[in-house]
Amino acid sequence: MVANNFSVNLLNILVPNQTFFMQNDQFYSSSYNGTKAFSQHDVRTANATGFGAAADDYMERGIDLNEELIRNKPATFFMRISSDAMKGSGIYKGDVVIVDRSLKASNGRVIIATFGGEMLIRRFEKINNKVRLLADDTLSPIEVDSSCENFGVWGVVTYVIHKP
Amino acid sequence: MKEEKKFKAIVDCNSFYCSCERLFRPDLQNKPIVVLSNNDGCIISRTDEAKLLGVQMAVPYFMAKEVIEKNNVATFSSNYNLYGDMSRRVMDTLKMLVGEKNVEVYSVDEAFLDVPISHVDLFNEYALHLREVVERWTGISVSVGISTTKTLAKIANHLAKKNKAATKCIYTLMDPDEVREALKKTPVSEIWGVGRANAEKLMKWKIENAWDLRNMPEEWARKNLGGVVGTRLLKELKGIACIEMKNELVNKKMITTTRMFGKNVKELSEIKEAISTYISRAAEKLRRQYCAASVIQIFMVAKEENHSVTFSHGATISASMRLSIATSATNELIIPALQIAEKVFKPGREYKKAGVILSGIVPDDAVQSNLFTPPTENSKRFLMNTVDNLNFSMRNDIIKFASSGVKNNWKMRREFHSPKYTSRWDELRNVS
Repeated sequence: MVANNFSVNLLNILVPNQTFFMQNDQFYSSSYNGTKAFSQHDVRTANATGFGAAADDYMERGIDLNEELIRNKPATFFMRISSDAMKGSGIYKGDVVIVDRSLKASNGRVIIATFGGEMLIRRFEKINNKVRLLADDTLSPIEVDSSCENFGVWGVVTYVIHKP
Repeated sequence: MKEEKKFKAIVDCNSFYCSCERLFRPDLQNKPIVVLSNNDGCIISRTDEAKLLGVQMAVPYFMAKEVIEKNNVATFSSNYNLYGDMSRRVMDTLKMLVGEKNVEVYSVDEAFLDVPISHVDLFNEYALHLREVVERWTGISVSVGISTTKTLAKIANHLAKKNKAATKCIYTLMDPDEVREALKKTPVSEIWGVGRANAEKLMKWKIENAWDLRNMPEEWARKNLGGVVGTRLLKELKGIACIEMKNELVNKKMITTTRMFGKNVKELSEIKEAISTYISRAAEKLRRQYCAASVIQIFMVAKEENHSVTFSHGATISASMRLSIATSATNELIIPALQIAEKVFKPGREYKKAGVILSGIVPDDAVQSNLFTPPTENSKRFLMNTVDNLNFSMRNDIIKFASSGVKNNWKMRREFHSPKYTSRWDELRNVS
């Protein structure tokens, strides 16, 4: 949850007439209008001169990748993979990953970590407050000291775009 | 918990341009960074580490070069593409957190907020929450100043930034004694809305800090500080809010495009290429807001003739023309613009900079037609739409008017330009 120690009550004072709801580990306010601005006019109709209007009743907006792949637009970034460190998880060199900074890194998730000035894609392991960054290939895991200053979680990987 | 009285906050990004660069360069964590203005001219953003080394703001790059090189300060040309995108993310996050109508985007890295809380105890929690969420989502660290008016919030923010370790980038200025102390410590030149000329004037009258100014009679301010603006400023310093939240400016009344040349330019042909390019950009902005312009102004800045070592520009020379009918078509603007450029240009001189200003802006569906000029045909609008769509989708000005030239030797220097991490597929940050 974003709002650590922050009461939903206070949020409701800040933004009256709005409700907040939780989804996974994330809260959204009702003012958030999705991932992409669109209007009623973006719904294509048959525009038929004869019989065709029947289908118009069932028309919706077409498939929009943003809608599925991007949950929180201001916090979402794209990055290019330049190694095969996460090959076993289906993330290959040349792929693009979608990274959400607003998500919390939890045990087992693939994250973008900053370590020693580099940006790495690794699986985040946290057992009894001991953090390790795991790679899928022969690279050995990186043990992260709790006092480690040059380690940080940059964001959580939510999707991989891969060309087969 | 309904409360009439609203408080004002300002959220200001810390070393914004540097923070944007650093977000994608974890190797620069805790390292000094500077960002240079267009054409790599002056230092326009610096991190605290660079400040500690004695690197000054707004100083020409060549003057700071020695310190920069000796201390290995990471140097970047301005990447407005990236900063614009990051700015939008910060503003969107704020709008989501406190509601769109409570946010006034004031500049690329600052926003005023209406704070609808009455409990002073909650301010700190509120500010902390904003700070944490903005930094976590966008990677940009911000400072928050809260007070009763915009002007005082600005001063609070200044105090927050002055001593980051103690304030944790948050400062609430509410207690009357505290306000008095803060105002006494604020020189008039640092008050929001006091320009350099007014600051000098005030200093002459021995009004040295914000507290002195606050205690002047309002009638005096009306006479000496620009009428209503002056009385408003005094009231704001007294804690009476009178500069209200503004809606975002949707349509600009004037569109300016100007750049320094990468090197001094002597040839008219090169100046004309530059003017065509600037007109194309300005016309694009004009069409983006569905407007047309009727006045074109061209200006050039020549190199100081008897130049010494001083870092000063020569005089600005300019000329303008009123068109018989407002237009937004690039070709209709280029022709008169080049005619003006020929008039302004004096052979034998070297130019450092040129620019175009479009004004007399009207909505393009309300263009006043003139009895003697045929109205712009629809075909022209169709042409410009096509050009805009091509350039928008293919980028890099893939299609442009020939008068803009191809070699563009005059283009500005951007030696230390970072990738457009957030807007180009082929410039994404690599992770290994």
